[in-house]
Amino acid sequence: MTIIVDAQDISKVYGEVTAVDTVSLSVKEGALFGLLGPNGSGKTTMIKMLTGQTRPTGGSATVLGLNVEKNPVAVRDRVGIIPEQETPPSFLTAMEYLAFVGAVRKIPDLETKADYWFDLLEFRDKKNVLCKDLSRGTRQKLMFAQAFIHEPALALIDEPLINFDPIMQDLVKDYLAAYAKKGKTIFISTHILEVAEEICSEFAILHKGRLLHTGPVADLTAGGGHLPQFFLSLVRKDRHV
Amino acid sequence: MFELFVAMVREEWRMHSTMFGSLSFAMFPVMIFGIAFMGAFLLPLVRSTLPAGNLALIVHANFLLLGFMVGAFGLLGNEVMNRRLGQASLLAYSARSLPLSEVHIFFTFVVKDVVYYFFLWVFPFGLGYILASPFIGVPLSAALLLLLTLTLAFLYGLCIVFFLSALYARSRPLLGAVVLMLGAAWGSFVAVTGMNPALFFPPLLLYAAFSSMNLILSLIVLSVLFALAVVLFSPEGTGTTREHRDAFAPLARRFTFLPDPPLAAKDLIDLYRSGSAVGQILFSFLIPLAVIWFFLSLLGPYLPPHGLLLMFAIITGVIASTMYTWVTMFDTFGPYACLPVSVSRLISGKLVTFSLLQVVPVLFIAAVALVSGESANLVPAVVLCLAVSYYAVSIMVFLTGLSPNVLVYDVRVMAVYLLLLGVVLTLFSALAFAEPLYALGSVVLFLPAWFFVQKGRARWDAVDPSGF
Repeated sequence: MTIIVDAQDISKVYGEVTAVDTVSLSVKEGALFGLLGPNGSGKTTMIKMLTGQTRPTGGSATVLGLNVEKNPVAVRDRVGIIPEQETPPSFLTAMEYLAFVGAVRKIPDLETKADYWFDLLEFRDKKNVLCKDLSRGTRQKLMFAQAFIHEPALALIDEPLINFDPIMQDLVKDYLAAYAKKGKTIFISTHILEVAEEICSEFAILHKGRLLHTGPVADLTAGGGHLPQFFLSLVRKDRHV
Repeated sequence: MFELFVAMVREEWRMHSTMFGSLSFAMFPVMIFGIAFMGAFLLPLVRSTLPAGNLALIVHANFLLLGFMVGAFGLLGNEVMNRRLGQASLLAYSARSLPLSEVHIFFTFVVKDVVYYFFLWVFPFGLGYILASPFIGVPLSAALLLLLTLTLAFLYGLCIVFFLSALYARSRPLLGAVVLMLGAAWGSFVAVTGMNPALFFPPLLLYAAFSSMNLILSLIVLSVLFALAVVLFSPEGTGTTREHRDAFAPLARRFTFLPDPPLAAKDLIDLYRSGSAVGQILFSFLIPLAVIWFFLSLLGPYLPPHGLLLMFAIITGVIASTMYTWVTMFDTFGPYACLPVSVSRLISGKLVTFSLLQVVPVLFIAAVALVSGESANLVPAVVLCLAVSYYAVSIMVFLTGLSPNVLVYDVRVMAVYLLLLGVVLTLFSALAFAEPLYALGSVVLFLPAWFFVQKGRARWDAVDPSGF
């Protein structure tokens, strides 16, 4: 099976802080991959490096066969990204923002596709409201729509369920699972372990920027294990190292 | 009250030191002090060509403008910081959750601005001059008086902007009517007396002839402006979710002749809907330039016949270059980081929008040339203005990328900017004063401008973009 994300000894150092420390991991096509870790473990930095938003200070990574350091714009052209903080431009309406994304990405038949997302995520009534006036939940819906509107081969999502109500969380989980079943790849970072266990096919655990574990979720659950307990014991043990 | 004031001062300091680094920012008042101290030693030279009164006038006009700029930025601060620093929220806005009235918060905010920027800008300048005064034969009392009157000039600028923007927030027609009335009164005064009303600027009167009465008069006018601003202050509405019809698609279609229609359309919508299009043109362009014109016109006797217009074209060009800050003000790279857009493409997009806005200085200079009876020099003035504007903006792009606002107070960046700009301004001022047609030679500035933009695009593509 094709490797979609391939990171080799990738690192990111900010001054004296090592955010990501020589991490190697790979994600196969069609996987729903969960990057887990406590706050400050390097998850967001990892996603930023894989999407060419920040340059690694060591190692290398390819996404969809493209070197992220050499081709950051080409990588972002082919993937969908939802950053940690939802930041649609303040003075565009929701519809205008999707039209803007469509124009930059050169997406045909944008209006029909935008309508699909307004209906799916149930925010059609907000399509003409300025982004600055949208609630956090609605902004997150908008960011979700912009990330998937061009049906990317890979979507990288930092905390996919943040700001969503339980009904919307359920809907989004179903959407992600169905998207991966279509052969597309999803890479999420989260610290909601129950969600990761429920929807992810593979996972990796980061702590203090280092990779503690990576493997299929099924291997863990087949033996009667649960991701939350496994995660907690691994991270607690590492804290004492 | 005092706790909020202290917290606001602390917040302002942290905001600046976070953006520029504590050392770089702390050096800023030191740089102002150094400029004033060393500049004071040039006074005997300058006085041989320019009377002391006119020099005082220019310095007071600068501090009046400083007040304008600080006031305008303060009012836009929250939105700007939100875009620059992500989910930033300033105390002036978040204090609404406290049991304090809006007027009380606004009052504290204004007092904070006065105190903070006094110590950042005004005091270091005054101190530099005071410490240099014994060496250049200026009595200490005159140096202290300058500090007082510069402080007042700064406060006038601040209060005028707060007053006009309070009117603007209440009613745009009311603001228009007040500006028209003031303009008419100004024009009538000039027509009847043949004198320039700028001479009656209270801090200047006080500097020319200090007396308790003049001081009281200055303070009364200032207090009235300040009281009116606070009383008229109307907090912006929150929680409104007005619907807007789609402006993006039609605008992007109209801009198909531009290199990057979606970016230009988005920028213009940002400017229009944020209120910056009108607000910035009024408070950051027209009012400062109107003030400069009246102050500069007092220098008429010391300049060649065409010198005033061409000098004004150069100043308009420098101020027009700051339109780049208008189009970058509400944006970080954040929203674009999800998209296949590089920093260099975004810089180019901003420069295209900047170019669209250059129609404003062109029309302005053309109007000034016609009104002042200098239509023969209209073309050299427009060329000079645009060349200076593009040259200045290219330095800004090279030095600051997409963050011209946040780097204003970085001493190193500011010093390089002033050096690169100062050399060119001096050269072209001299050429234009010698012969108006020489101003046309300023087109050569487009070459270094192009060079700086290309270097800037490569430079900022090579570093991690900030703002996400």
